[in-house]
Amino acid sequence: MADLQDELHTTGGLDAVPDLFEDEPRAPVGDPDGTQLERARAVLAAHPVADGYSGLPWALRHLHWYDLELGESSVDTDVPRLRAGHVGALFWSLHLPEGIVRDRAVGATLEQLDLVKSVVGAHPDGLRLVCTAGQATDARHCGRIAVLLGPAQAAALDDSLGVLRALHSLGLRVLTLTGVSWAGQTGLTRFGEEVVREMNRLGVLADLSGASTDTVARVLAVSRAPVLFTRSAARALRPHPANLPDDLLAGLGAAKGLCMVPLTPEQTGPSVRAVADHLDHVREVAGPECVGLSGTFDAGTAHPQDLADASRYPHLIAELLHRGWTESQIALLTWGNVQRVLRGADFTARAAQQRRQPSTARIADLDG
Amino acid sequence: MTSLEEARSLLREFPVVDGHNDLPWALRKIGYDLDARDISRHQNAHLHTDIPRLREGGVGAQYWSVYVRSDLPDAVPATLEQIDCVRQLLARHPADLAPALTAADMEQARRDGRIASLMGAEGGHSINCSLGTLRGLYELGVRYMTLTHNDNNPWADSATDEPNVGGLSAFGREVVREMNRLGMLVDLSHVAATTMRDALDTTSAPVIFSHSSARAVCDHPRNIPDDVLERLPGNGGVAMVTFVPKFVLQAAVDWTLAADENLRAHGFHHLDTSPEAMKLHRAFEERTPRPVATVSTVADHLDHMREVAGVDHLGIGGDYDGTAFTPDGLGDVSGYPNLIAELLDRGWSKTDLAKVTWQNSVRVLGAAEDVARELRATRPVSNATIESLDGREG
Repeated sequence: MADLQDELHTTGGLDAVPDLFEDEPRAPVGDPDGTQLERARAVLAAHPVADGYSGLPWALRHLHWYDLELGESSVDTDVPRLRAGHVGALFWSLHLPEGIVRDRAVGATLEQLDLVKSVVGAHPDGLRLVCTAGQATDARHCGRIAVLLGPAQAAALDDSLGVLRALHSLGLRVLTLTGVSWAGQTGLTRFGEEVVREMNRLGVLADLSGASTDTVARVLAVSRAPVLFTRSAARALRPHPANLPDDLLAGLGAAKGLCMVPLTPEQTGPSVRAVADHLDHVREVAGPECVGLSGTFDAGTAHPQDLADASRYPHLIAELLHRGWTESQIALLTWGNVQRVLRGADFTARAAQQRRQPSTARIADLDG
Repeated sequence: MTSLEEARSLLREFPVVDGHNDLPWALRKIGYDLDARDISRHQNAHLHTDIPRLREGGVGAQYWSVYVRSDLPDAVPATLEQIDCVRQLLARHPADLAPALTAADMEQARRDGRIASLMGAEGGHSINCSLGTLRGLYELGVRYMTLTHNDNNPWADSATDEPNVGGLSAFGREVVREMNRLGMLVDLSHVAATTMRDALDTTSAPVIFSHSSARAVCDHPRNIPDDVLERLPGNGGVAMVTFVPKFVLQAAVDWTLAADENLRAHGFHHLDTSPEAMKLHRAFEERTPRPVATVSTVADHLDHMREVAGVDHLGIGGDYDGTAFTPDGLGDVSGYPNLIAELLDRGWSKTDLAKVTWQNSVRVLGAAEDVARELRATRPVSNATIESLDGREG
């Protein structure tokens, strides 16, 4: 089967075609007589998880002699477990350890991009690098797990829009707007606003997990494309700084952004049920089309019991089914919302490119 | 038909592949304000290069240099900005400039009557001792890298710096091998003769000299010694003759040394372009007129290089917008026909001139692609570090 699929060159040309199949009504695939776990697997088979954050690139950086295709015990993510967990797409984080800044952050990010490409290239039967919603769906139709590049840290730009454009052309699709002078505690500077506009023009999504309240507010106002929180849960349930208060969740719902709930005890609590509580809450406050999942595996954090690696998603979905989530709500949670946001970024970019030239703004000109 | 008319007619069929043009650097100096220097119109007042003059000069392919300074820590991000600049130029002038990554792209551009546009990085400092970064540059379209600029880097000695690693270090040789595997041409302009020889010993693909002339004709370290030129037939590479007067004309070399000495004697760095330094410089120039190179000076180099390396290993690399002075008759990118006319007058055949202008340089990129195709099948991606190979920090 894999050999046959290798011959299919279906990637090109489909990018621009909206995925019509996604919007067709589907008959429920779950077996009402089966257990919730079996139903969960059936639902996930039709609507796989698009996971918002994987720390795999940095975890692999200093690892030799690994094989993700056959299974690799030194990390939480490998192809067999991704398949067991019905993961259909992943955002591979390009975040760097603290202290790598300025020109070194640019170089280290280039190295991470290079590493991701060689890892994906070494696992052609399992993984495929994609840049758009259409390519992700296409990868799924070919039985491959889609890998999206990002989020990278804002520091990776070294305050340069030229660097942003270069990273975008190397495949970067998400940027976390924290830890730089132009997106700090006091919100976006003028240069920061220009960065967001240029991201919109290119189709790079803003990730606001960990961003200051003022930055979040300003990005929501400036960005024409939907925004992401790649690792944020509900602050009403757990007072973690990266978790979102209800007013922000409501605002995110109005802006049709996406809050991707991480599977980490610090942010969500130590159990499947605790994670489900957060998903319930975000669904309620922001809306079912604004909630997503973020495994946060291989990122150096602990995980709730029963959600220890990428294979465990069916347990979480079973809990949600038990709580009365409809299949269409789960379809949005796992796959549909990420598709919508990626498509939104592309549409925004196409429109912006009609009326904006690449920005030559420099931080010294705008921020003094 | 005059020889100039004959030259133009020849260039229509076999246009010039130029190995080195610093337009991106000139644009970087004005904050990449591409509206202020619209190259679809004449920019004679500001630049050596614009599209009308490239057309007039019979240029069919251009390696745009994405040069950045080697004395600042920001070489990698700055190089990305330079690449971004070239991409913007290509996006703005699609009817004239054709993005090109391969020899086939170059031929297609020639058939379409567009100027094939390639990129070259000028100096190993642009990868900051990282093979992952090298691959990033390749993926962004860079198709040659000069191993050094005017200063040594930790793994390669420059022609214009003190000997350090004595050519290429172990990591430097690994950089060359990884460039071979990728299909990025190894450019030996600017490097020390020891580095040239080490690179030729290491490489399995043809090399280029993107802008260098013959040291036997004019003794300047930026030029190529005969023993290295002699190795080009065996390697298959191409030496692209440059026009920079202070490299090609002995009197200009001597004059430049004296002018530099004059600046240093007054407490300035010899590359200082501050108003005070320029004032001193102008006073010197009034006392001692600057010797002027001509088309004939450059042709002398080509005559010699043909004798030593052979006509299959010659090309052209003007270094426009990267040099303050130019020879008479080669004042900007419209001047190439004058050089071809001079060579016709010297009895060069049209067949040979087609090799010099177009065929050799296209061949060398195609050959690098062929080598890369073979190496990619057998050689794994290298993630060697300078610490692991040279035993010290980069």
